[in-house]
Amino acid sequence: MKALIYIALIVGLVPIQAVLLPHISLWGVKPDLGFVVVCLIGLIGGELDGLLMGLVLGWAMSLFSAQDPFSAAMMKGAVGFMAGLAGRQVVYLSPIVLVMGLLLVSFLVGLVTPFALKLSVEQDLWWAVWTVVLPQACLDAVIGGAVYWLMWSRLNIEQWVSEYRV
Amino acid sequence: MRMVNLRASYNAKRLALALAVILVLGFLLVPGQLQSIFQQMGSPVGWALSWPLQAVAGIHDRIADLWGRFVALQGVEEENRQLRRELDLLKEQNGQLQEASAATERLASLLEFKKQALPTLVAAQVIGRDTGNWYKTIIINKGSSDGLQPDHGVITPAGVVGRIVKTTPSTAVVLLVTDPNNAIAGLIQRTRDEGIVEGTTQGLASLKYIPLLSSARSGDRVVTSGLVGGFPRGLPIGTITKIDKEEEALFQSAELSPEVDPNRVEEVLVIQSSAVSTEGAQIGAPKRKP
Repeated sequence: MKALIYIALIVGLVPIQAVLLPHISLWGVKPDLGFVVVCLIGLIGGELDGLLMGLVLGWAMSLFSAQDPFSAAMMKGAVGFMAGLAGRQVVYLSPIVLVMGLLLVSFLVGLVTPFALKLSVEQDLWWAVWTVVLPQACLDAVIGGAVYWLMWSRLNIEQWVSEYRV
Repeated sequence: MRMVNLRASYNAKRLALALAVILVLGFLLVPGQLQSIFQQMGSPVGWALSWPLQAVAGIHDRIADLWGRFVALQGVEEENRQLRRELDLLKEQNGQLQEASAATERLASLLEFKKQALPTLVAAQVIGRDTGNWYKTIIINKGSSDGLQPDHGVITPAGVVGRIVKTTPSTAVVLLVTDPNNAIAGLIQRTRDEGIVEGTTQGLASLKYIPLLSSARSGDRVVTSGLVGGFPRGLPIGTITKIDKEEEALFQSAELSPEVDPNRVEEVLVIQSSAVSTEGAQIGAPKRKP
């Protein structure tokens, strides 16, 4: 069941990210749904789920981007793994704490990205922070918080998490 | 109420640390050849994922079509008037171009450049855009099974759109001319000075390495030079809007307004002809003997 959910997420997220999100981008920047999903899977499912889902989702998304597949997979895998580690330390996580966490992690990953992708000379760190990293971190945090809040308020997420991780 | 419980065991921490180190080392040390294998492994996955991608793109197009037919018709009358004016202008230009075309054809056949002037074109539809925010790309619905390969040039009848950087069996990723990581050999049509067209972070393009003595000015058209890359000579890239001439600089540069608005492009043509040489072939890259 878990594998089916993960496959459905990969199959569904790629077209949503590539076809639909460009229409709802803010300041020319769209949220990274893959990042949000990998973070939530890491938090709820643990390090291994976060790592594997991050590797696969990052790779699948890179097939429809100019980004090289290896760095994309590694970055999302590392994010999922770290989210899993963080989730293991926290017994109770409120949506507000999650939003702040996503904002910080997305910002940090965004800061690493320009170096990892070997972008052109024009795309320096200052440009990256103000035009991509910061807006994307805000969008990721808001969307991740909203999804978690929906799960938190509509589903008994704490019981779900405890059952899911056993 | 927020509770934090540090309950990870020593072993879990050690495992986590070891995995993190492996990830970082792998990320830093993996050689380029392995990365290309990694990319090739994506072909079947890319093929499978292209089905939902094309399905969503199809639904999206239908909704956009409905919107265009029934909701966005306000202002069509004014647009129609403008288009008629443009049509008159274009008819006049078309007459002039036909003359120029006839002359070009004679010269092309004379110089045996006919193949280069008439490359094989594959029509494709734009079905999506880059899944990230770092590159300006579009995804088209034709891929390696249609004969498309990285470095093939992508155009519309108006001008250059970009070049293919990645393919799956049924899709291809096109790096746009407005992406700062793109570089296309360009030529100022009036002065015949050559340079390199790169994208800018503002979503426009610029022509770099123009000789200092060039008399290029605003309004000059820039076309492909055909020297390197998957484009034949003479395809429109953009129009110069501003010349930057810094003191003690070795070259001039110019800001360009691209001929094609990459944000609105819906259908494209891929230049597939083998007659159009790629960069490797052009610079005489060594070929392996069978």
